[in-house]
Amino acid sequence: MKSLVTRFLTGTLVAIVAWLVLAGAAAVRKDPIKEPDKLVILSTVDVKGKTSPCG
Amino acid sequence: MLVDGGGFFPEDDLHQDVAWFLMDSMKLLGTDAVGVSEKELRFGASYLRAQIKRTDLPLVCANLYFKGSKRPVVAPYVIKQVGTVKVGVFGLISDKVPLGLSQDSLYVEEPTAATRRTIAELRKKGATVVVLLSQLGKVESEDLVSAIDGVDALVIGHGVPMMQKGRMIKKTVACYGGEQGQYLGRTVLSLDRTRHVTTGDNETFILGPEVGEKPEVLKLVKTFEDSFNEKLRKAEKEQIAKVEASKTPENADHFVGAEVCIRCHQDEGDQWKTTSHSLAWQTLVTVKKDATPDCIPCHVVGYKAAGGFQTGSDAAKLANVQCENCHGMGTQHDAFATAPRRITEQTCVTCHHGENDPEFNFAVKLPKIAHGNTSGETIKHMKNPANSSMMQGHSSSTSN
Repeated sequence: MKSLVTRFLTGTLVAIVAWLVLAGAAAVRKDPIKEPDKLVILSTVDVKGKTSPCG
Repeated sequence: MLVDGGGFFPEDDLHQDVAWFLMDSMKLLGTDAVGVSEKELRFGASYLRAQIKRTDLPLVCANLYFKGSKRPVVAPYVIKQVGTVKVGVFGLISDKVPLGLSQDSLYVEEPTAATRRTIAELRKKGATVVVLLSQLGKVESEDLVSAIDGVDALVIGHGVPMMQKGRMIKKTVACYGGEQGQYLGRTVLSLDRTRHVTTGDNETFILGPEVGEKPEVLKLVKTFEDSFNEKLRKAEKEQIAKVEASKTPENADHFVGAEVCIRCHQDEGDQWKTTSHSLAWQTLVTVKKDATPDCIPCHVVGYKAAGGFQTGSDAAKLANVQCENCHGMGTQHDAFATAPRRITEQTCVTCHHGENDPEFNFAVKLPKIAHGNTSGETIKHMKNPANSSMMQGHSSSTSN
């Protein structure tokens, strides 16, 4: 009987530790979602009615 | 994101169709915002607004208003969501240039006040990045961002010389983009975790043939150019009668055409035929620009001058870059025969100038077409005119 209680407590402890580890890992995954750190702006100006070079 | 700083409308009324065509093209390219200059007002504010309504292209200008209603002519700014970044883009037009047809109905607010107000509005609405499309020219644009904080990226237009590397003006990255669609500015802004700009850099690239084409835009350009060239040709024919009436008197100085020169200068004529100058007209024909007034002067003799090329019907005699382009009018022969006219760099840069031929080097190029050189190297190195298309540069070693 004692053995069963011990085994139960041990099993519970293992489950709690596992849960903590998994929860921690999930927290790590959630936190730093990769944010864009660059914005690229392409620009033209003063096109002056040109659609292509003359030739 | 993709923006255009404005100044894209054509410079003459004959090319009005190009205005709406370019708006269609920019829409197709997915342009996020477009600035406004006085060029965009040359056909009137109503025309511009009608085209904006038709294309849904986001033109922006924060200091242009109707005099009567005091309402803005176009949207002052746009806020675009680029990924997780809110980008505010606004435009400015110069208050020092005439507005043409719109002079009496519109007014331009002093740019500094408009800038302060617009930046505050954009920031209040959550924009963490602010881009200014300025048509104030180089000096005034630089002065503006030196005096006012809050512009992260600045695209400068209105007669601004192209600079390959942009400048950092206080905390603003400035782009000096060049003109005629031959260049593309690339501004890279570094953002912190709050999506605010920490630093930035700019470089401007020439859009050469190696830059890929978007097939649907290329198709649109070719279809438009072909039909537009025909329209110009018809308009040209209608002018022939007027030209005939204003023919130059026989005794005045005028161009005569290479055929007359070659009667005596056979060797020079034979050598000329080995150069790309002798094929200059065909390059226009190939790309259907042979009725485009912007292009013709550098591909013919004496465009619109006495005895020179007036219309396409003169092509047989006066097409191509001939003797008189370099040596002067044939009727002035006696004058330069006794005191030979030297070919100077000034002679060449009337056509081989910055816009058309940014890499032109007189000392390198002159020997390639000099009369002693029969190697034909300029023809061998001609680009394939069929490769020409929207936004490509004007090659430095081509026909003219």
